[in-house]
Amino acid sequence: MRFCKIHLTSAAIAVALLSADAVAQQSSAAGPFTAAQVTAGRAAYAVNCASCHEANLAGSGDQPPLAGASFMAVWGDRTTKAFYDDIRTAMPYGKAGSLDSITYQNIVAFILSANGAKAGPESLRPDTAVKISAIANGKIPADVARSSAASTDEEAGRPGAPMRLGQTLIGKIKNYAPVTNEMLVHPDPKDWLIYRGNYQAWSFSPLKQITDKNVGQLQLKWSWAMNEGGENATGPTVHNGIMFLANTSNTVQALDAKSGELLWENRLGPVAARAYSALRSLAVYQDKVYINATDAKLYALDAKTGKVVWETVIADSAKGFNETGGVIVAHGKVIVGLTLCRGQMPHCYISAYDAETGKQVWKFTTIADKGTPGGDTWNDIPDDMRAGGETWIAGTYDPELNTTYWGVAQSKPWMRASRRTGNAATLYGNSTLALDVDTGKLKWYYSHAPGESFDLDEVFERVLIDHGDQKTLMTVGKVGILWKLDRVTGKFLDARQTVFQNVYSGFDMKKGEPIYRPDIVNQKTNTWISACPSPAGGHDWPPTSYDQPNDLMIIPLGQSCNLMLGHDVAQHTGVVNAEGEEREFFMPGTDGNMGRLTAYRTSTMEPVWTFQQRSSFLTGVLSTGGNLACVGDYDRVFRCVQATTGKTVWTTRLPTVVQGNPISFSVDGKQYIAITTGLGGGSTIGKPSSMLSEVHHPDHGQALFVFGLPDGG
Amino acid sequence: MPVNDKFDTRLTAVAFDGAMRANVQGDGHIDAVLTGNKLSVTGSFTELPSAATTAKLFMGPAIGVPGDAVYVLTVAGGTDGSIKGGFTLNAKQIVALRRGHLYVQLNSQNAPDGNLWGWLMPEHPVAAADVPLPGHGFLPQVDVPGNWTEK
Repeated sequence: MRFCKIHLTSAAIAVALLSADAVAQQSSAAGPFTAAQVTAGRAAYAVNCASCHEANLAGSGDQPPLAGASFMAVWGDRTTKAFYDDIRTAMPYGKAGSLDSITYQNIVAFILSANGAKAGPESLRPDTAVKISAIANGKIPADVARSSAASTDEEAGRPGAPMRLGQTLIGKIKNYAPVTNEMLVHPDPKDWLIYRGNYQAWSFSPLKQITDKNVGQLQLKWSWAMNEGGENATGPTVHNGIMFLANTSNTVQALDAKSGELLWENRLGPVAARAYSALRSLAVYQDKVYINATDAKLYALDAKTGKVVWETVIADSAKGFNETGGVIVAHGKVIVGLTLCRGQMPHCYISAYDAETGKQVWKFTTIADKGTPGGDTWNDIPDDMRAGGETWIAGTYDPELNTTYWGVAQSKPWMRASRRTGNAATLYGNSTLALDVDTGKLKWYYSHAPGESFDLDEVFERVLIDHGDQKTLMTVGKVGILWKLDRVTGKFLDARQTVFQNVYSGFDMKKGEPIYRPDIVNQKTNTWISACPSPAGGHDWPPTSYDQPNDLMIIPLGQSCNLMLGHDVAQHTGVVNAEGEEREFFMPGTDGNMGRLTAYRTSTMEPVWTFQQRSSFLTGVLSTGGNLACVGDYDRVFRCVQATTGKTVWTTRLPTVVQGNPISFSVDGKQYIAITTGLGGGSTIGKPSSMLSEVHHPDHGQALFVFGLPDGG
Repeated sequence: MPVNDKFDTRLTAVAFDGAMRANVQGDGHIDAVLTGNKLSVTGSFTELPSAATTAKLFMGPAIGVPGDAVYVLTVAGGTDGSIKGGFTLNAKQIVALRRGHLYVQLNSQNAPDGNLWGWLMPEHPVAAADVPLPGHGFLPQVDVPGNWTEK
């Protein structure tokens, strides 16, 4: 269960009511809680829980429903004490255990009442243990079912975010040089122009002033406190000494990259109430900065002043659409994806906009409907039950082929027994898409995991690497298979397993197809099924780095497993959630180490070095021409290792979780390395939060840190 | 004795959610030796949240996938203690052991359906944290790589 916000839809209400009716078994016993607790709990729920689970408890995205049939299926046979212990231990998401006991008790009382339990004379206590199905029936009171999203900032529970939206500082940058297509294709090493460093997503800086020999002298040059609240998993962009930062709450800032001085700030909003959904990147092109906001809007800001030049709606956020993956600018077009794809019609899409005007040029729908190409890969379920297919990581681009490459996330509900799609591919879920940049036409696709069942996305960065004349695309997903494809044709070339996994019992290396474990093929709903890795990956959103001089792909990996239970899902509802419950455990053979960093030589696909550690890695990897690979983790450590050996050569400890994307740049001949601390997020931070009970960090402290060698050295 | 006749595992928390977390803490280790078809199991555990009650050897369909109990182990102690047992394995169980499909589960008073568990794996190099090694580093995938078809 997770506490995090999206807008309520009438369809969601319908779902809740339908679900409640389906389980209605009137219970007359008074619940072990008072009406006063329900009232207080409702207020506390609005502040701490509704932003993820919805005001009407219908759930959203990955966040499960807390009322109705799904809730009763999971909790009906368990006790009020177990439910109290669960939310006290794990919630609010990203800030587990941060509320006082009375508040948790009140929230439990409200949730029980929202499932038809009646208040009585006795107060609910932490040790009250009553079987939930004995007092609740899953029937949602009408006033709760009608509840809408929080209408005020206080109700939305925004912690420490800026209180005033709009442009707070208008810039007067005079030395700004427009970013040309040529600059994007061949970035100046002193810049970090694209979210992963270059169009190929290498996350590699050729700069070599900071090396494995002198990195021990690194010192903090400046830092910048970032907004609290939301998920901070960003990486700055730097051009000609100016840093553009996608802060949380859809705030965009320009900073002097050498001094840390604020040059302009535009708080676009909306304020982030979610504990997840990050702004992962922004893009710079010509004289504009482009950013997608989490309410599925796309903005172009004047790079010199920060003023909005144009804005456009990518999709209607009132229908639940959201966008977090960032943008890429290619051949004069701003290309962006969509998230929170819950079966809304029309489905989610990747879309492109004229960089100058904001006019939509094309869109490509990532869920195939009946009668469209790929529409026959969903086992004939209704179009409005086809969900997922999110694009929450911005794509890459090959200028010579004029092709942009995107990963597509898994289909939903998570488990195919819940989806009722069997081993069908559910296109374009968990596929690589190769799209013509000018038209959006599909050149080819590759379905990595037909029939996927455990929230094991294959959505992450598509890294473009050439070996002689061979143009390859490499990617690694949550299950931990490192894929190599021909990026001209989409042909499968090779694959390697990078972490322990038990989802595939085999792999057809001729066809490039996984073979599922038999009990996964024969799965049923409401049954726990084991999967390694868990939804935290394997590999997750913290991106790889391609150390080009050494032909090494350095991959942050995760080691955890889970049991997952898929709910029965009603048909024809129009709102589709993940519908999966999880219980996590340590991955066998890891000795309790959740983090692993491994380097693969991409020409041979052979591993070169690896090490593991207790804490999960929560940043991407930056490699540099100085034989360094830098990465941060859940235990607040930011480190650099020798790229060629994996040996740690420098560490520092930051105020809270090191989360984001490290970059390197230079100003006035001096090289810098920058990284953010960040909180919030999904499985990547959620799993260590619940499993590493001895690792502690403040629940605040989001900031940007810039390191460099001593002056005059 | 062949190297792969020794097996071991660390005992860590069984699969849990927030409601179970407080009762599935603790740590432990199991060593097992297969001599012919005789399996000898010894181990220890510490810092359980409640006193240990029972322990069993289970057999599942894959590493990390729960299955059915096949033998009962002897448990001594309370929140700290020891585990031991000796069994004659049948051919199917020996194959399962060599593939990493056998695991030990320890139950306790507050976690009667499982407190700690661990899959018995052939002894293999385990690097200390932060120590880089050549190769991929994850555990010997004794039941999967053979099923990866060659190109």
